[in-house]
Amino acid sequence: MLEQIVFYSLAALITASALMVVTARNTVHSALFLGLCLAGVGGIFALLGADFLFAGQIMVYVGGIAVLIMFVVMLLGRASDLHLRQMNKQWAAALLVCAASLAGFWKIVRMAGGALATAPVKPTTGPLGLIMMGDYALPFELVSLVLTGALLGAIFFSRSEKSQ
Amino acid sequence: MNLGSYVALSAALFLIGVFGALTRRNIIGILMAIELMFNAANINLAAFNRYLHPGGIIGQTLALFIISIAAAEVVVGLSLVLAIYRNTDTVYVEDYNLLKG
Repeated sequence: MLEQIVFYSLAALITASALMVVTARNTVHSALFLGLCLAGVGGIFALLGADFLFAGQIMVYVGGIAVLIMFVVMLLGRASDLHLRQMNKQWAAALLVCAASLAGFWKIVRMAGGALATAPVKPTTGPLGLIMMGDYALPFELVSLVLTGALLGAIFFSRSEKSQ
Repeated sequence: MNLGSYVALSAALFLIGVFGALTRRNIIGILMAIELMFNAANINLAAFNRYLHPGGIIGQTLALFIISIAAAEVVVGLSLVLAIYRNTDTVYVEDYNLLKG
């Protein structure tokens, strides 16, 4: 019962704030609602018993990516953007694409729907650490390489012309 | 709670992200919509892990990799946006037509 209350309130929070991210005219409001939506997804992770994912979601997404996007939103653009429409003219076609995909997704939901949880929730941080140092050691190292490349790429692309 | 509720939530989040990526004019708005799609995929992975493979952690491992790749993607994407803005002085994607002959 408690699980259902938590799930439905989190689902309402996530969908409402995601809709605001997509439709808000002011990009700063979009970025704030993005942080709220990502925090709600973190709550869903906690509900699913993925405790390390919950912590990672809060630290990386809410504390990192949402704040970074907020900074860039404040760096770019000008005040007159608030009076322009933020949606292009193809919104009807986009709605059509979404409706067609919804039909496909609905089939998947119907197919996967009935499964119920069989095992109680257990903490997974320890096993995740073990698997990162065991079976998934090579992908783990590759991800660290990708992050280093992203860091260097960000520095390369965002330096100003004068310093080159 | 059954698996279908979580899959339905993630489908809704993904479709909102698709709609945003298709209709936003602002390039940062498109990046935010892409983040929503990443999160829908992560909800799916964690939910399938919990319901179809109880006791296993492969789904959560994959979601963790997706989170780190998404962080790298957004960092490079935002620095590219800054570089493009410096050249074209606009954030609207229909004005990004430097390569148009």
